[in-house]
Amino acid sequence: MPGYFREVARRLFAQELRDSDLTSRDESDQYAPQYLLTPTGARVNRVFLVGTLIEKEDIGTDSEYWRGRVSDPTGSFLVYAGQYQPEAAQFLAECELPAFVAVVGKASTYTTDEGNVLTSIRAESIQAVDAKTRDLWVLETAKQTLDRIKEIEYVTPESPASNPYTKLAKEHYAADMKAYRALLLKALESLKENID
Amino acid sequence: MKQIAESIKDRFFKLGVDVPLEDIENRLSELITKFKVPENEAQRSVVNYFLKKYSIPKNEYYARQAEARLCKLSDLSEAGQWTDVKVKVIQLWDKTHESIAQVGLIGDETGVIKFTKWLNAGLPELEQGKSYLLKGVLISEYNGRLSIELKSNSSIEKLEEEVEVGGGEFTSEEMESELRDIEELTQANQWVSIRGKIVQLWENTHESIEQVGLIGDETGVIRFTNWTSSELPAMEEGKCYLLSNVIVKEWNGRYSIQLNKASSIEILEEDIEVGTATSSYFGAMVDIQTGSGLIKRCPECKRALIKGACAEHGKIKGEYDLRIKAVLDNGTSTQEALINRELTQKSVGLSLDEAIAMAAEALDPGVVLDRLKQKLIGRYYNVSGPRVERYILVDSFVESSEMDKNLLETMIAELEVE
Repeated sequence: MPGYFREVARRLFAQELRDSDLTSRDESDQYAPQYLLTPTGARVNRVFLVGTLIEKEDIGTDSEYWRGRVSDPTGSFLVYAGQYQPEAAQFLAECELPAFVAVVGKASTYTTDEGNVLTSIRAESIQAVDAKTRDLWVLETAKQTLDRIKEIEYVTPESPASNPYTKLAKEHYAADMKAYRALLLKALESLKENID
Repeated sequence: MKQIAESIKDRFFKLGVDVPLEDIENRLSELITKFKVPENEAQRSVVNYFLKKYSIPKNEYYARQAEARLCKLSDLSEAGQWTDVKVKVIQLWDKTHESIAQVGLIGDETGVIKFTKWLNAGLPELEQGKSYLLKGVLISEYNGRLSIELKSNSSIEKLEEEVEVGGGEFTSEEMESELRDIEELTQANQWVSIRGKIVQLWENTHESIEQVGLIGDETGVIRFTNWTSSELPAMEEGKCYLLSNVIVKEWNGRYSIQLNKASSIEILEEDIEVGTATSSYFGAMVDIQTGSGLIKRCPECKRALIKGACAEHGKIKGEYDLRIKAVLDNGTSTQEALINRELTQKSVGLSLDEAIAMAAEALDPGVVLDRLKQKLIGRYYNVSGPRVERYILVDSFVESSEMDKNLLETMIAELEVE
């Protein structure tokens, strides 16, 4: 398929998205996608997440512009949908709270006047799902985050990262992977309680 | 710890400096016991401290150490030590990083070991099949396996006599790869030979790739990559080849083969009939593409109509059908899947007649598509079926409902250890 490939929907927890602030895009091409590099080295354009929709609000002035808050075991995602995402906006307009939802969307960032970077999701699709799907997502996301953590932990000057983004994430964030491991443990333990 | 301290003392004594044992021990113990520094790191740090204190150049200390011992590969046991080895270069690999000059396998009569020659070592090129005396090389360990590093204070001497290679983990027999069916290639990093027909050549995505595409035999189809650095001839679509000494790689549960310098290509006269590969994929459904839901097909050629016209037969009265062009995503790859009427009806609980009625009532076939999206998107599915180009033609479509409790337990156990 020359010339076209679909961006993979990455899995990450709300806390990691919140901690992310490094974006990049190919400046020579105005249609190039933007990527957000996260502390564990995920290079994110599209995201897939499943969580609990706990708040929603129409913040638009002229036309409808919906903002929803979707929580996972580590925090919450802010999910936006306006006139260019009619299906997702319609879902937010009509749904009842709280609800388990699956969101497919693009990670986007906003830099405040103080220079803080806020992250959010521009929804392509929001659909209601069940608790079981949400649990599957938590497990899958923990697994993929742990894989990234392990990769970043192996990087030393003697064994350089084979993936340049792992290296970049390590340099830019110098994040404490122990904190992310603790986050995963918390998320997984919450799953275990659901099962028992 | 006492041993380390004594060995450091000895070494300094040979350089003409008498360091009190107590001083060495105190420094080591502080690092190892109080600050939890690994022994070899602590040793290096203490040595560096005294070298600095007595103004001894580093290479003098380490050179002497290296001079002292010529080792057989099977005797290498401790990472962080410097040694000399007499070896033959068995295989050169493609380097994986720009800071590496050469990487591969070297061996002597007692074993085989991986070596890495760093670019900044500025050492001459090693040739495959030639024997060398490598002086002042560092033994290092990664994931429980030892390897040898050639650094700036190492040196290379070419040997006239040939070093015999045998024993060890990789024997030379094992290096000769076995002829396998494509279906059997399910073990990463295994060296194999295969015979197959080039099914497809794809557009190159990178200058370091000579050719990439699909090769198939009676048992299945597999992706292959022929690196430019392999210096192998190009293959033609539709021709059959014997590929020897290729390496099996795994990415994301899918296997592929790679041709590198150690590989060879031989053209075959026979014709190989390529069997269909059945693929399966697990992931979340993240999109249902246009052209899904209630569609019309051309009665002549079964192609989907676009705006009431068939690409082949023109404007025509079509027949209704239901299908889904789904995109599944597992977080590291995406997979397109075509789901036929029967499976669509079953998974959504909507028959073709009901779908037609729904669309008629709303005056819009889009309502059927909306219903499919509502029911399916965001959930996890296992699909399998024959793979045709970028699609899996789904003949089994199952929503995943069971949490993998083993994985959950294993991960919790792993995270609790930290």
